[in-house]
Amino acid sequence: MHEQSLVRTLLKQVDAIRREHGADQIREVRVEVGPLSGVEPLLLESAFDQLAAGTFADGATLAIDEVTLQAECRSCRQQFEVDAFDFRCPDCGGHVRILRGDELMLVSVSVACHEHAKISS
Amino acid sequence: MTDCTKTINVRRDVALEAKADAEAERRRLARRGTLVVNLLSSPGAGKTTLLEATARRLTPRHSMAALVGDLETDRDAQRLSPLVPAAQLTTGGACHLELPLVRRGLEALGDPQVDFLFIENVGNLVCPASHDLAEHLRVVLVSTTEGDDKPGKYPKMFRTSQAMLITKLDLLPHVPFCVEAVQADARRIQPELDILEVCAIQDTGISAWCDYLCQLRSERLAAYQELA
Repeated sequence: MHEQSLVRTLLKQVDAIRREHGADQIREVRVEVGPLSGVEPLLLESAFDQLAAGTFADGATLAIDEVTLQAECRSCRQQFEVDAFDFRCPDCGGHVRILRGDELMLVSVSVACHEHAKISS
Repeated sequence: MTDCTKTINVRRDVALEAKADAEAERRRLARRGTLVVNLLSSPGAGKTTLLEATARRLTPRHSMAALVGDLETDRDAQRLSPLVPAAQLTTGGACHLELPLVRRGLEALGDPQVDFLFIENVGNLVCPASHDLAEHLRVVLVSTTEGDDKPGKYPKMFRTSQAMLITKLDLLPHVPFCVEAVQADARRIQPELDILEVCAIQDTGISAWCDYLCQLRSERLAAYQELA
């Protein structure tokens, strides 16, 4: 249910990008999913296939890049990969902020374009 | 004419607009003096009982309202209505609240100018963690009856919370629940978590909880005044 509403939002954004670029058909939508994005890739994929059917995105591939959690220590500025959701800085034990892995990120949209051969006027 | 594929680079958080919308609402409510508290837990952890005890303690000096979320029935709103203005948000089948539902609830209450607005989310430790309801404070409840192993199982809920309340403290002698274990597990995920212990039906810890809320209200609202 949660994935379905996310895909609805995603498709709206993809539609706007497609229109902006004057494209009809979408070939691929690439997203980035992290361990704290609250998104299960398999559910996202099936929601995408279901909701894209019969729309401008019919037949498009949803490419999902699964990224790791990256954080930065607010005290010593050390950047590290968060392992097993342990958010303590491995160097100084300080508090950290998340750099990557807590979002559903729209990375790119691939559209079909038609290149006309140059016609001399 | 040849077919080709053009890739448009975007790199944008899909929830960007929703986040901006929630932030605008958070500012609006802060500027008029309302601290919004989002209460989250599994079903039956004691959110409504905590709200009843909180209302009794807070309302002589402060004003408050409550929006209570469930899939069906208005049982929670009925429990709270004798104490404070309360509106039920029924989600049909949805497992969490979203900002439009909160706005509808606020409208139903006549957009009240209160010191505290409590939002009791649908009992669920998963999806509610992913939805910003314009709250200034996110509080997760863990009851002694549900086990001390919950933080590690639901990391997003605990990572995104600022406070954790251990509830049903009176049952501690009867259940295999270790307060130190749940604290350590939660602080591994969110080292900045404020942790309080309560037993709402016996009014234990409610005074400290309300002091905490009042202190946080002053701090958070002052921070938003500075932003203005």
